[in-house]
Amino acid sequence: MTDERLPPADGEVIDRGSRLRFTFDGKGHSGHPGDTIGSALAARGVRMLSRSFKYHRPRALLCCDGRCPNCLVEVDGIPNVRACTAPLREGQRVRSQNAWPSLAFDVLAITDRLDRLLPIGFYYKTFYRPRRLWPLYEKVLRRVAGLGRVDITARPDLAPRTRHLHCDVAVVGGGPAGCIAALEAAAAGARVVLVDDQPALGGHLRSRSLPVHGDARIEGLSGTRAAQRLGELIAEQPGIETLIAATVFGIYEGTLLGVNQGQTVARIRAKRIVIATGAHERPALFDGNDRPGIMLGTAVLRLARLHGVRSGHQVVAIVDDGYGWSIVAELVAARVALTAVIDIGSGLPTPELPPGIEVIRGAAILEGTGSRRVTGLRIRVGAAERLVPCDAVAVSLRPEPATGLIAQDGGERRYDDRIGEFVAARLSDAVSVAGDVEGIHDDAHTMASGALAGLEAAVAIGLGTQDAIAAARTHRAACRASALARHGRPVALDAPGGRKQFVCLCEDVTVKEIAQGIEEGFEDLETLKRYSTLTMGPCQGKMCQGLATRLRATLTGETLAAAKLTTARPPFQPVSLAALAGPHLEPVRRTAMHGRHAALTDRWIDMGDWKRPHIYTSVEEECRAVRERVAIIDVSTLGKLEVAGADAGSFLDWLHPNRFSDLKIGRVRYRAMCDDAGIVLDDGTVARLGDTRFFLSTTTGTIDAMEQWLTWWLAGTDRDARVTNVTAQYAAVNLAGPRSREVLERLTETDVSKAALPYLAATEAPVAGVPAIILRIGFVGELSYEIHVPSDFGGYLWDQLTAAGADLGITPFGVEAQRVLRLEKQHAIVGQDTDGLSNPVESGMSWLVKADKDDFVGREAIAAVTARGPQQMLVGFELPERTVPEEGAAVIRDGRLVGRVTSSKWSPYLGKTIGMVSIPIEQAADGSEIEIRLPVGTVRARVATKPFYDPAGLRLRM
Amino acid sequence: MSFLVPCPQCGPRDVYEFRFGGETLRRPSPDATPLVWTNYRYMRVNRDGNAREWWFHRLGCRRWFVTERDTVRNVVSASGWATGD
Repeated sequence: MTDERLPPADGEVIDRGSRLRFTFDGKGHSGHPGDTIGSALAARGVRMLSRSFKYHRPRALLCCDGRCPNCLVEVDGIPNVRACTAPLREGQRVRSQNAWPSLAFDVLAITDRLDRLLPIGFYYKTFYRPRRLWPLYEKVLRRVAGLGRVDITARPDLAPRTRHLHCDVAVVGGGPAGCIAALEAAAAGARVVLVDDQPALGGHLRSRSLPVHGDARIEGLSGTRAAQRLGELIAEQPGIETLIAATVFGIYEGTLLGVNQGQTVARIRAKRIVIATGAHERPALFDGNDRPGIMLGTAVLRLARLHGVRSGHQVVAIVDDGYGWSIVAELVAARVALTAVIDIGSGLPTPELPPGIEVIRGAAILEGTGSRRVTGLRIRVGAAERLVPCDAVAVSLRPEPATGLIAQDGGERRYDDRIGEFVAARLSDAVSVAGDVEGIHDDAHTMASGALAGLEAAVAIGLGTQDAIAAARTHRAACRASALARHGRPVALDAPGGRKQFVCLCEDVTVKEIAQGIEEGFEDLETLKRYSTLTMGPCQGKMCQGLATRLRATLTGETLAAAKLTTARPPFQPVSLAALAGPHLEPVRRTAMHGRHAALTDRWIDMGDWKRPHIYTSVEEECRAVRERVAIIDVSTLGKLEVAGADAGSFLDWLHPNRFSDLKIGRVRYRAMCDDAGIVLDDGTVARLGDTRFFLSTTTGTIDAMEQWLTWWLAGTDRDARVTNVTAQYAAVNLAGPRSREVLERLTETDVSKAALPYLAATEAPVAGVPAIILRIGFVGELSYEIHVPSDFGGYLWDQLTAAGADLGITPFGVEAQRVLRLEKQHAIVGQDTDGLSNPVESGMSWLVKADKDDFVGREAIAAVTARGPQQMLVGFELPERTVPEEGAAVIRDGRLVGRVTSSKWSPYLGKTIGMVSIPIEQAADGSEIEIRLPVGTVRARVATKPFYDPAGLRLRM
Repeated sequence: MSFLVPCPQCGPRDVYEFRFGGETLRRPSPDATPLVWTNYRYMRVNRDGNAREWWFHRLGCRRWFVTERDTVRNVVSASGWATGD
C-alpha cells in the first residue's frame, strides 16, 4: 500500500521529513511524527479498525475526535485505545479488537445476519432460562461481547501521578471561546487553568482555513493561523497554566475538576468554571449509516488539514444548514475530493463551488451501500430513487452542544425552541458557559461569549470592573441576536425504514430496536436506556444521546420541550484505573528500635501503620525466656496520651467506669473505656505522674480514635484539661521475667525494689542516664517494667538493656510470644476478644465498674445490662490436644451457633491449646464443656474462668 | 464527596482531611427514661437541608468544631468552635 498524502499545506501537524514504524495486526506500516495511529493507518489506506460490539460489523474512523467508539484498538497490550487521538510512536504494536480470527474475516460477523434472533433486550429475554445454564451462557457471552482483551498477567510499567492545582478560574475547552475566556480572566488578574483534550489549542480553528472574525486579536486570520495566535497569546499571558491533551472527566462538589492527562490525574480546585466544550456534529440516520467511510465532516476535514490524509477519492457531503455549507467550503479549500453535496433541507442558496461537484437538494438518504467500505448513498428525491456513488461520506449536520459536564455539575439542560437544541437552562453558581456549547455556531458570538464568561468569572471573585462586564454583555447580546436571526433549524428527524440504522454505535442499537423497546412499554428515556443499553457504551452517549432523545420524541409523539437528556456520570472520558488509583503509597511507621530488630529477624507483623517484630527465634524459646529468665519487647507502638490540668482527674472519671481522681501520684491503674451505649472502646493504663498530670496508654490501633474521643468530650466545655498525643514522643520497652529487676537495677540509681516500686507503681527516673517513665505493669504475667524514654533514645535504651542483661540470658520476644503469654493469663485484647457489641459486664470486666460513681459516659447503658444480668460471657477455654481452632470459630450447642472463639493459641509452655470464647452465660461456668467447630468436624473444649498460668497473680507481684 | 470544609483554625480544606463527627446532640440527664437514652444513642434526624454537625480536622489542627452543612448540596455555610450548649 502506498502512503499518498495531500500536498503540504498550512496548519498541518505532521513532520513529513521523518517516519515512524509500527505494526497493525502484525503487518508493518509507517507514518509521520504528528500522526495519530488512526491518521497513519488512514494514510496507508487501512480503513477497518475494529468490529462492533454486538453484530461484529466493520468499524472505521468516524469522528476523529476521541468521542466515538469506532476506532478502539489495542496498543502494546493496552486495550480500548482510541486510534484517532492516540499519538503515533515508533515501534507501536497495534491490534484490532473484537474480531476472530481476523478483522477481515470475523466468524461472529454472522450475528449481523441473525439480528432478527437478537432483539432488543435479548439478554433479558433469552438467557435467563433455564437458570442453571446461566454460567455457561455467561462464559460464551463474555467472549463474544467483550470490548478488547485485558492481559491480567501484565504488569505494565506505569508511573501514575496525582497533581493538585488551585486556581481562580478553570476553563474547560481550548477552542476560541475558551482561549478568549482564559485571556480575559487572566488579564483581570485571575489565576487560570485552561484544559483542552487536543494536542494543541485552538479547537475547531486548527483545521479551518477560512478567515476568522469577531475578535481583534485574531480578526481576519485563517483558522489555523488564528489557532496558533491564540496559543501564543495564552503562552504570553501571565497567570494561565495550560493542560493540553488533557480531558476533564468529571466536575465534582466544591468546584473540583478531575482531569486526566496521560498517566496523570490532576485535581483542579477552582473558584469558577467556564465550560467551553463546544459542539460536535450529529450523525445521520439511514440504513447502513455505520459503513466504513461514512464519517463526520469535521473528521474528513481534520484528517485532510492536520495530517494531509485523503478520506476518499469520491467524497459526498451531507448538509442540513449553514453550518454544513461552511464545512463544505472548508472541505473544498482543503482539497478534499468532493463529488457531491446532498442538502437535506437547509433551503440556503448554493454557494459558489468548483466544477464537478453536484448539488442535490431535498433528498432523503435511504441507505449507505457496500459492506467493508461504503460504495454509495441510495437517496430519494421526490418520487425518484437514485444511487450516488462514493467511497467516503462527510456527514456535516448541525452540531449538538457538548453539554455533558453541565449536567454533572448539577446544571439543568432543556430544549430551547429558539435555538433548536438542548442547552443549559440553569447553571450552578460557580459555572458559566461560552461558545458553541450554547448551541450557536457563529464566530462573533463565540468570541463575545468567551470574553464575557472570562470577565464575569473574574468579577465574581472580586477582580475586574462591572463597567467592562456591561459592555461585554451588550456586545454578546447583539452577537447572539444577529446569529439567531440567521440560525437554521435542525431538520426534523424522520425514521425511514431499514433494519440497520444505527443510533448507538457503541452497543449496536438500531432505530428498529428503539421503536420496539418503546412498543414494549419502555417509553421513558431512562428505562429505554437501561433496556437497550443505549448511551451506556464506551462513548457514554456522546454520539447518540441527541439522536436518541429526538428519535424517542418522534416515536412517542412527545415534544422536545418536555424531553429530558440522561446524565452521563463521570468519567466523561475513560480514565485508566492506574491513573485514578495514583501512585501506590502506603505509610509505614517504624519504631526507634526498628534497626535493632531488623538485625535479628525478618519476620514482621503489621499493626496499623506500624511494623512490629513477629517472632525472633521461636515462640517456645521466647516464652521460656519470659517465664524463666528475662526478656524484652519493643512496645513503642502503644498509644500514649498525656492528660493534664486541674480537672484532668475528674475528666478521666467522666470517661471511665472506674475512678482516677483518687489515684495517688506514682500509681498506675487499669482502664477500660465505654461509649454511651456501654460498648468497650479501648483499654490500657493510667499512671498519675503529678497532681495534675496523667499518662495514659491505649491499644496500638485505637490511639487516633482515642485522641479524638477525649478531645471531643472536652470541646465546648470549660474543663481545665488538655489532651496531648505523645505516642511518637516516647519509645518504650517492656522488660519482663523473674530476673528483670536485676537488669533494671544495673542501669538506674533509683530504688526499684519490691518495697519501693511495687506492682502498679510508677516513677520518673533516669535509666541508663536517660530520663524515663518506669511503670511496674505488664501484659505477660511476670515481674515486669514498662520503660518509656524520649524516642531519640529508643535504640540506645534497647542496646543498654540487652547488654546489661546479657549474662542473665536476656532475650528479645515478639508479638506472637506476647500473645501466647497474655492468653496464658487470660488478658483480653479489646478489639480482638471484644467487638462492636461488647459491654464490660459480659467481657469479664465487671470488676472495674464502680456502681457508686456519679454519671459517667456509658453509665446508663452499663446499669441496664447489669440490671438484666449478663447473657454472654468472655471466658477462657483449653484443649488437652494440639488442635488449635481458628480465631472466629463457631461455638455450637445442639447444632446451633451460640458463641465464637475470640483467641486461640498453642501454649508451648503449658503444653496445651488455650484461648478465649464468648459464650452463653449458662455454659460459662468453670469446667463446663463446649463444642467448637473446626474446618472438619468439631472438638470439645473445657471452660476455664481463671488464668491458666499463675491464677493467684503472685508472679507479677514479685 | 469532594466539598470543602472551612476549619475555624486552618481555613477551607478538602473534606478528606476531616473526620465527620455526626449530628450535634444533647446528652440526656442521668435520670432520663430509657427511651430518651435509646433515642440519644441510636436515632438521628438525618435532616435533608441545614444540619449542625461535628467535624474533626484530622490532617490539620486536630481540633473539633461545629458546622452548618446543607446535606443535600454539601455546602458548609458556617463553622465555629463548639460552645457550651
